Amino acid sequence: MEILKLIVNGKEHQVLIEPHDTLSKVLREKLQLTGTKLGCEQASCGACSVFVDGKIVQSCITPALRVNGSVITTIEGIADQNKLHKLQEKFVEKGAVQCGYCTPGMIMTTLDFLEETPKPSHEEIKEALSGNLCRCTGYKKIIEAVEAYVDDEPIAAGTPDTKFKMVGQGRPYIEAKKKVQGSADYADDIQTKNALHCKFVRSTQPHAKIEKIHTKKAQALTGVRAILTGKELPITFGVLPISQDETALAVEKTRYIGEIVVAVAADTEEIANEACNLIEVDYSPLRPYFDMKEACEDVGEDEQIHSHSKFNNNIHKKAELRFGDQQEGLENADHKVEANFDFQGISHGFTEPHAATAWWDENGLTIVTATQVPHYLHRYLAKVMEVPMNRVRVIKPYVGGGFGGKSDPFPHEIIVSHLSRVTGQPVRVRFNREEIFLTNHGRHPTTMTMKMGVSKEGKFDVLDADIIIDGGAYGSFGVVTSYYNGVLLQAPYKLDNFGFRTRRVYTNKPQCGAMRGHGAVNSRYAVETLIDRLAEKIDMDPCELRFKNFLDEKTQTVGQYRITSNGSSESLKKVMELSGWEDKFKKLPEGHGVGVACGFFISGSALPIHWNEYPQSVVHLKVDLDGRVLVTSGASDIGQGSDTMLAIIVAEILGLSLDNIFVVAADTTLTPIDLGSYSSRVTFMAGNAAKQAAERLREKVLDAVASIHEVDVSELNIENERVFSNDSKVDLTWFAAIENATRKVGALNTSGAYNSPKLGGDFKGAGAGLSPSYSFGAVITEVKVDKETGHVKVVDVWGAHDAGKALNPLAVEGQLEGSWHMGLGQALSEQMKFRDGLLLNGNLVDFKIPTTKDTPPIHTSIIETQDPEGPFGAKECGEGAIHPVIPAVANAIYDAVGVRVTSLPINSEEVLKAIKKKNEIVEKEVQEA
Amino acid sequence: MIAEKTYLMPTTVNEALSMAKANIESFTYLAGGTDVMVNRFQGNEESPCLIDITKIDDLKGVKKEGDQLRIGALEILEELKNKKEIVDEFSMLIEAALSVGAPLLRKTATIGGNVLCENRCIFYNQSEWWRDSAGLCLKCDGDICIATQGKKACFSELVSDTAPALIAMDAEIELVDENGTSTMKLEDIYTGDGVIPRNLSETAILTAILLPLNRGFKTDYYKLRERESLEFTSLTSAVAMDQNGKLKIALSGVDPKAVVVEGTTDDDKEDLIKKAVKGARAIDNDMYSRKYRREMIGIFLKRSFEKLKI
Repeated sequence: MEILKLIVNGKEHQVLIEPHDTLSKVLREKLQLTGTKLGCEQASCGACSVFVDGKIVQSCITPALRVNGSVITTIEGIADQNKLHKLQEKFVEKGAVQCGYCTPGMIMTTLDFLEETPKPSHEEIKEALSGNLCRCTGYKKIIEAVEAYVDDEPIAAGTPDTKFKMVGQGRPYIEAKKKVQGSADYADDIQTKNALHCKFVRSTQPHAKIEKIHTKKAQALTGVRAILTGKELPITFGVLPISQDETALAVEKTRYIGEIVVAVAADTEEIANEACNLIEVDYSPLRPYFDMKEACEDVGEDEQIHSHSKFNNNIHKKAELRFGDQQEGLENADHKVEANFDFQGISHGFTEPHAATAWWDENGLTIVTATQVPHYLHRYLAKVMEVPMNRVRVIKPYVGGGFGGKSDPFPHEIIVSHLSRVTGQPVRVRFNREEIFLTNHGRHPTTMTMKMGVSKEGKFDVLDADIIIDGGAYGSFGVVTSYYNGVLLQAPYKLDNFGFRTRRVYTNKPQCGAMRGHGAVNSRYAVETLIDRLAEKIDMDPCELRFKNFLDEKTQTVGQYRITSNGSSESLKKVMELSGWEDKFKKLPEGHGVGVACGFFISGSALPIHWNEYPQSVVHLKVDLDGRVLVTSGASDIGQGSDTMLAIIVAEILGLSLDNIFVVAADTTLTPIDLGSYSSRVTFMAGNAAKQAAERLREKVLDAVASIHEVDVSELNIENERVFSNDSKVDLTWFAAIENATRKVGALNTSGAYNSPKLGGDFKGAGAGLSPSYSFGAVITEVKVDKETGHVKVVDVWGAHDAGKALNPLAVEGQLEGSWHMGLGQALSEQMKFRDGLLLNGNLVDFKIPTTKDTPPIHTSIIETQDPEGPFGAKECGEGAIHPVIPAVANAIYDAVGVRVTSLPINSEEVLKAIKKKNEIVEKEVQEA
Repeated sequence: MIAEKTYLMPTTVNEALSMAKANIESFTYLAGGTDVMVNRFQGNEESPCLIDITKIDDLKGVKKEGDQLRIGALEILEELKNKKEIVDEFSMLIEAALSVGAPLLRKTATIGGNVLCENRCIFYNQSEWWRDSAGLCLKCDGDICIATQGKKACFSELVSDTAPALIAMDAEIELVDENGTSTMKLEDIYTGDGVIPRNLSETAILTAILLPLNRGFKTDYYKLRERESLEFTSLTSAVAMDQNGKLKIALSGVDPKAVVVEGTTDDDKEDLIKKAVKGARAIDNDMYSRKYRREMIGIFLKRSFEKLKI
């Protein structure tokens, strides 16, 4: 041990450390300065940046002893006491903060850079921030915040108007200040007394029988408190009731490289790691399956990945729906196109690693964990732990992004819960970046054949798709994904003859599940690029072809989806206008092009995963003599701003400012049921529940005031924190009104609930993709292609999205920009690359999330339509926008260089291959001529 | 038993050398640490004794010495652009330095460290658990190359971006070890063996990089990467032409060592390209294929020749 002396944020510290400890470890674990975040631990994300003697370093790779005696500033030292630094203020004001996990690093990096370059250009800012990864914002609002700070733009003071203007007024998240100060606690930031550390032995085999596990040496190690193998937790679970195929640890056999085989709880992380190194596992290899098509072939029972499979192969789920007659459609079509597509798997890339701490006390189990869906975890902890649900409490702290990747119950959450029960001590776990990639649950690798036909007048006659998706080793959301790949093609265009077949297969790779735009992202790519080909065949502008085929509003799709408001046409018109489409399409010089695509998505699933009649969202309100309304909701804010959305809705109905709202969310004991944050359901469902609860509270308050002051309730108004009658004879402050009401009715509580109306047809599979409302959108991209290297540079993105009514336009823009940015990653650079089941790029260097420099200017348009059932007319905005951006890039590449790339990612190498192939064909044609 | 860990911070080169000698079996030098610390995180570097040389002032500074420019090994990559002497005659070095990783990293990384950074391979730069799963490769005491699935040689790549730029401009390095000070051509330190990619004596410290002044270099530089930041190179290509028509091409990212082709502006360009491609023993151990990277050598060199009007 060595003594380390530091002055951190003006405070002197002397701590005992191990000689090779990193600065980040010292700051976070010894000094509890957890505003310094760990995203990758390999200096490839920037979240851990701090100042050492005024110079920026990434603390995850800075040896602590190197900075002995230094003056350190962390994010906690940036604000002047409780007065934010002006840059922090700009981050808040401009909506540069979503999940907030990258924020401390972004702010530190910016401050350092501005020291040297106080008046930077836009490009210089991009360059300076290009080592800080953000997965939420698309960097747009971050760069805007930096620019506003540099320009010394005055802080937009909250006017009385904006103070009470709620719905439709853009505003920062209610917790944004905390996030820019580094004081928002994420799962790994919460320090629990005497917690043990949990580490895992992961399978080195893709498919193998576990013969023996040697734990003796590890058990003998001082500080090891418990060693857990699969047999102790044999009960299966899975997010879908129909896919209960996973266990917390591998039992008897392992199904992918990276699966947890043994777990260790020990006094320190180092001891736990050492114990894991001492554990040996004997395996007998079984035949592994890595290829989707191979997994569809019949095999012997003992060779199946899962013995419970219904078929003699490794197919997990077959989904098929047909409407109209595809054969006839193809025969009647004047022009047909057919193509095969291949898509690599994509990981969510959230910046905050999975982390959890579990403990047991007189109330049973409590777990604090980075989750999108406390409710499902609650259910499955109870199931696997074999305790009633009333002995389990799941708490979601601040979560650093999810995008679907934190929406399953996870083995590590169950394991730490169990280890805590065994040891009687709290047990904590935090993943490293590699473990996040191995846990995956990301977008399915996909292969598909798709056919489309069109009449010469430009009417789509048919769409038929045959799809295989690679589910990896377990079920996850896969059954839903299987359907979504197909059913979510029945809009935004009219289609009479529409059909698909999807097969989801098990392979010996990390499992796939739900990721932003769930299920339909890859098949949308196929459709929108085929439409581009059809447009060319009939010599029609691809925008015009789309206009001709858009569904109307207030209509039904071929599969009986109820379409309410529909902003498809407006979205497309908007991006055409802003991009100058007419002057660019087919008119730009060689190597330079524009492309268009459209999309749509659900606003929450009408049918819950667990089929029951319970409400999908409940919100409780309580108000007491201090006048502040407590909003409790089970919805999980994972950076998308749902806490703020709830506050806005309640404040709007009750005429309050946000000072009178307090949101408590996502704690299964304190808050009512909500199915969680996935499938873009929260604004629609939890928002409606909040609205109903607030309306009931309003009614109660007004009734009481009316009765006490003897006025008709219809004479009363509630706004600007006052309750007043039309004739002003009654004019009460909110505080006085609450006093009145409390006097009258005693306790003031109300609740609201939302359940989707019954929708859809009565055929098998009719429920898939049903939603009370759908969002629509369009994207145009402009690209430049280097014909010799194949490198594609996206130079502009214009996006428009029909989000119904934008409750908080600043947050809506943030969601859209984040979606488009994520789409660009999948389009051009991201993929999970495997060799023989082993992931080759489980890190943030080789899994290539676009940096600031790779992200083009994004031009955002919110298209407002009024949804009849959404809260104040609102629909989803968090996922749908990702669909059109990827094919829009591909179509732009075609406009630029005349090649169609049918696989993702469209990296330079693929583009170059396609260009060469095209040139060969042209040459051949010339020769033949 | 875990070996006792130590962290030493010498302030002179001699002190560093004696510390190294005293811990000859167990030490590694640490400069900026942007490479070593990541390799340590992955368990590819496990020396119990870390000798942090960043407090040795003699290793810092940029100054002219006779007909050479001396760049201290500890000069920070991001700061090279502020040194007039480098801007004036060796702007390609700045271009190269600014293409390394991302700005955050470059504010810690040193030029000496970049020149000496460990070779990389997608089958090697992985966690200990990962390498166990893949089967140990030659570079981590295994018997065969995992990337090529059987070859008996290691093809981990030199990924320094500054090395090709420096080599193309005829850089020398100054080394100090127990036997005293010596200088050698930068390209001569690379062995071409991915397992032991540099032929330096165990205690040697790279103290400075020496560049020849008044050569009137005209240069061109490219780095192949999918993203514009945060990337190791998949191919770095540096071309320098001096006032006498001497031409030197240096590549990294496609071979365990720097690929160097020398000639004159009168040479046949296609021949030069052929030589460079032939010298690049690239394998499929990168996110780009071997074929693509080799093909890009020709594209980059052609572009450089055009730009330099040769």
